Amino acid sequence: MNNLKTTSLFAAHVELGAKTCAFAGFNMPIQYAGIKSEVAAVRNSVGVFDVSHMGEFFVEGPAAHDFVDFVITNDFKNAPTGKAIYSPLCNERGFIIDDLIAYKITDTKVLICVNAANIEKDWLWLNNFIGDFNCKLTDHSDTYSLLAIQGPATEKILKELKLFPENNFDYYSATLFSYKNEEIIIARTGYTGEDGVEIFCSHSLVKTIWKSLLNLGVIPCGLAARDVLRLEVCYPLYGHELNESITPFDGGIGWTVKKNKISFVGKDSLINHSTKFKIVKLSLEKGIPRAGYAVLNNAGEKIGEVTSGTMSVTTGKGIALALVEKSRLPEDKAFYIEIRKNSILATQHTKPFVSGGHK
Amino acid sequence: MAHKIPAELKYTKDHEWTKIVDDQVIIGITDFAQSSLGDIVFTELPGPGIKIIKGEAFGVVESIKSVSDLYSPLDGVIIEKNDELESQPELINQDPYTNWLLKIKPNNLDDLDELLSDKDYQEHCKDS
Repeated sequence: MNNLKTTSLFAAHVELGAKTCAFAGFNMPIQYAGIKSEVAAVRNSVGVFDVSHMGEFFVEGPAAHDFVDFVITNDFKNAPTGKAIYSPLCNERGFIIDDLIAYKITDTKVLICVNAANIEKDWLWLNNFIGDFNCKLTDHSDTYSLLAIQGPATEKILKELKLFPENNFDYYSATLFSYKNEEIIIARTGYTGEDGVEIFCSHSLVKTIWKSLLNLGVIPCGLAARDVLRLEVCYPLYGHELNESITPFDGGIGWTVKKNKISFVGKDSLINHSTKFKIVKLSLEKGIPRAGYAVLNNAGEKIGEVTSGTMSVTTGKGIALALVEKSRLPEDKAFYIEIRKNSILATQHTKPFVSGGHK
Repeated sequence: MAHKIPAELKYTKDHEWTKIVDDQVIIGITDFAQSSLGDIVFTELPGPGIKIIKGEAFGVVESIKSVSDLYSPLDGVIIEKNDELESQPELINQDPYTNWLLKIKPNNLDDLDELLSDKDYQEHCKDS
């Protein structure tokens, strides 16, 4: 683990007895007291995640909005200032380089939060286009810490700490905020399906905030609980549902492609694309689906593969997202998951396994 | 964190414990194993009458994040499986030495000779 980076809260994680594990070049806390209790804390009250491994880029200048609108598939230009937009970043062929959230902080400043494993790749990609726009792109991944405070009690807890914007702070908003003499960015976003807030701040301030949150009884949660939480609400994860051989239409996020935008990277490919795959939501009464398990039809033929699977803590059932060939979707809607050579009948869901309570 | 390693049991390098009671061998997983796995949410075990073979996988224990194969420390036939674990796999986390997995009728008790003592197993855990 010698070559791994750590976040500025690493000592605090070790002190709490966290199990840690290599993730995207960081030694990250995977769990503290246990995945079950951490998931329950986020669904029922409030938990906090150190996700400082995530990457932060700033785009600043008169054309900042235009640049972001051009490189992502979703509509950024028409979003009001103070809004956050989820989008894939696609290459010219429409395949997904990464998925990200772009925060329209001011009229001339955008924060882009990207997956830790893709920081370098995204940085190189975005620099192919920045020269055509009157704005500059800077990488602040090493200077920002990021906390995600998630769960229905988030607002109450943060108000106690005077760490909650008074106005215009509904779901998927973001704003500059002054806290303990520091200008931080606070956003009503997250990866759990619950109401929650993400705080981008300095490495020193993050320690203060972390400590204050724990003192108020907020439960520290690791990346394992985060993965269960996002899968329960069917949010995709880069490297699983999304990757460079998948378009947004095939990866279940076709809604993020705004074909009517005048121009954006990948537009020509995406408007002519015929979708080959579909992400389906499957659950099992008994057994736990895992990434890589085969999905079969009634005749026992392989029609796809599980991309993410786990035991849902909230529903007590095995749940999965699976990538299935569109042309082989079973008409009888009978999907089977092969687990250790047994094929087990799955239930297909049209809605997420857990609805989540975000506002 | 010190893990419980009862002196009266014999251990495998795969973090299972065995105990001889009359003419049966009881198998479970160790405190070290349950603690490494975290919340155990699923077990898949063969039932009575099934033969198990030394060194071969006979079942799995799954935590939320991982699937772990269980390897048989001996040749024998299953007499009983712990059915309680089907609905309450978390019992293994709560007490891995009370909540056994299988009771086996061994073909040859000599199979157990090469298992680790509590002290040897403790050393083995340090290297794991």
